Amino acid sequence: MAGIKLQNVYKIYSDGFTAVDNFNLDITDKEFIVLVGPSGCGKSTTLRMIAGLEEISKGEITIGDRVVNKIPPKDRNIAMVFQSYALYPNKNVYKNMAFSLELHKMPKEEIRERVMNAAKILDIEHLLDRKPRALSGGQRQRVALGRAMVRNPDVFLLDEPLSNLDAKLRAAMRTEIIKLHHDLGTTFIYVTHDQTEAMTMGDRIVVMRDGVVQQVDTPQRIYAHPVNMFVAGFIGSPQMNFIAATLIQKNDGSLFLNPGENTIPVPESIKSEALKSYIGKQIIVGIRPEDISDNSTAISEHKNSVLNGLVEVRELMGSEAYLYIKYGSERLIARVDKSSTAKADDTVTLAVDENKMHLFDKETGVRIE
Amino acid sequence: MNKQLRNALLYSLLILFAAAFVFPVFVVLINSFKSKLYISSEPFTLPDAESFAGLENYISGLEKTGFLASFGYSLFITVGSVIAIVLFSSMTAWYITRVRNKLTSLLYYAFVFSMIVPFQMVMFSMSKIANILYLDNPIGIILIYLGFGSGLSVFMFSGFIRSIPIEIEEAAMIDGCGSLRTFFLVVFPVMRPTAITVAILNAMWIWNDYLLPYLVIGSDYKTIPIAIQYLRGGYGSVDMGAMMAMLVLAIVPIIIFYLRGQKYIIKGVVAGAVKG
Ligand SMILES: Nc1ncnc2c1ncn2[C@@H]1O[C@H](COP(=O)(O)OP(=O)(O)O)[C@@H](O)[C@H]1O
Ligand SMILES: [Mg+2]
Repeated sequence: MAGIKLQNVYKIYSDGFTAVDNFNLDITDKEFIVLVGPSGCGKSTTLRMIAGLEEISKGEITIGDRVVNKIPPKDRNIAMVFQSYALYPNKNVYKNMAFSLELHKMPKEEIRERVMNAAKILDIEHLLDRKPRALSGGQRQRVALGRAMVRNPDVFLLDEPLSNLDAKLRAAMRTEIIKLHHDLGTTFIYVTHDQTEAMTMGDRIVVMRDGVVQQVDTPQRIYAHPVNMFVAGFIGSPQMNFIAATLIQKNDGSLFLNPGENTIPVPESIKSEALKSYIGKQIIVGIRPEDISDNSTAISEHKNSVLNGLVEVRELMGSEAYLYIKYGSERLIARVDKSSTAKADDTVTLAVDENKMHLFDKETGVRIE
Repeated sequence: MNKQLRNALLYSLLILFAAAFVFPVFVVLINSFKSKLYISSEPFTLPDAESFAGLENYISGLEKTGFLASFGYSLFITVGSVIAIVLFSSMTAWYITRVRNKLTSLLYYAFVFSMIVPFQMVMFSMSKIANILYLDNPIGIILIYLGFGSGLSVFMFSGFIRSIPIEIEEAAMIDGCGSLRTFFLVVFPVMRPTAITVAILNAMWIWNDYLLPYLVIGSDYKTIPIAIQYLRGGYGSVDMGAMMAMLVLAIVPIIIFYLRGQKYIIKGVVAGAVKG
């Protein structure tokens, strides 16, 4: 049981490449933290520095109340689940799980008890005699989790543990890992490039890009308040729509956005001091697909903020449909109810929930607020 | 039909090759039971009532050569060298494969290069140095064999280690292993097939080696090949019977060792451990 603190942590590889750039994070005990970002952004490197598999170039990592910079992995009391599972090929499942306990000279009966207990939770009791090569991907995944579980570690580190599984199994294991975290009450640090996993699993999410932390917050906050266009675009599926619009001020002082032929009033809720300096300039408006609607109630509710666009494609997803819209030279996705009658080649009127617009600086991509 | 024909042809060819390789051994075996007069006159016939000599050749050979002592030296040197080679070259290979820098890649190429230097080129200077360093005894020669054996062995181990996913070692370190335990409890067991292959290859040439022991320890500690050579008395007289018998005794252990180990030679233990 321990919190973890990363202070001004850098990783500069021997070739001079800065893979992690001034990483700061305070993880509280029992928290489920997800590091998310596109491939190559330094998630694994960060995790591996916490594990002790990678040297820390600069900065300090604290686990519990120990600075662990110079402590080898074996003495950090952490457990790690690798993307490739990394099971010991010539040990059977039981031995794979018991190995670390044997190394720590735990009495045989206690090892047995712990392994059996973990095997029961993970439903792999019938596999204990098998060698890893005789297991399916999902089963190996469970063994890898089991190997970490029996340790009672201070921290659980997981590096893309689900990315080698097929979609259905992935969704199932996602739930199981959440449950596992709940049952174990241990700090979890989970690395993924999949924003769905991040959104569904994390107590807090750390969004990274090119070695730099972009935003640390709860999934809800990150979704509702992305600090920049990168985070806004990375989190959420389908992606947030971005359209360039000019900010204009009418004579009465009210602000409007002018993306192409329509105008949308800027509501009080998203006005800010900072926004004033953009009057007369182009900014980027971000609108999530679900905040665009073609049904009549929405249109009457937001009658001042409508766009007229051309439906290019309609995709029925089951309970909802995606409309791919051409608006001027821009392309938008709207997530509408399946009862929507809009179809390809229709010209439609779309209501934008103006209170849910996100405004970004066109040059820097930073949220304006 | 066509396939059957091809198989038949292939098999006859293989049988032919096998026969060609086994034949000399077989000749040695049958002649070891013939009295020496018949060995040169009719070397390829099976022993009959007249030529059969029972164990006479074996008994005289054992007496003349001091075979038991030689067997002891050969066994000690071979076993000692093989253990040293397997142990040290596997550890070296692990280090130079996993720790990547200029020095380790230089070392790697030094090992590879040592494979292509012919023994005959270095043998005289080497035996002289061995004398100076007091390596001219059964323990010292193990060190020399370690040197000659480690080129190929390091090369083979390195190749295999590269195919072992490093995550397995990282998992071991997180599970509580330091470097030593990571190597002996995790890496070495995975390398077992390679270790056995390396052991067999080295055991065969060290057991049969004549030149190195002859140059370094020949007169004081006769290994089997040297002891057998001493059956060629002065002036070209050779006790063929005893020689055949001793050759049989010399071959038997290495054949047993090979047959026991060969099933391990190619065995993909790691396969399937990584991806799903
Ligand atoms: N040993 C290394 N030497 C140099 N660069 C490396 C090394 N390992 C990783 N990198 C680089 O560091 C960056 C971050 O890698 P990584 O942490 O594995 O990314 P992620 O896990 O987010 O996909 C990548 O651009 C990668 O190429
Ligand atoms: Mg990674």
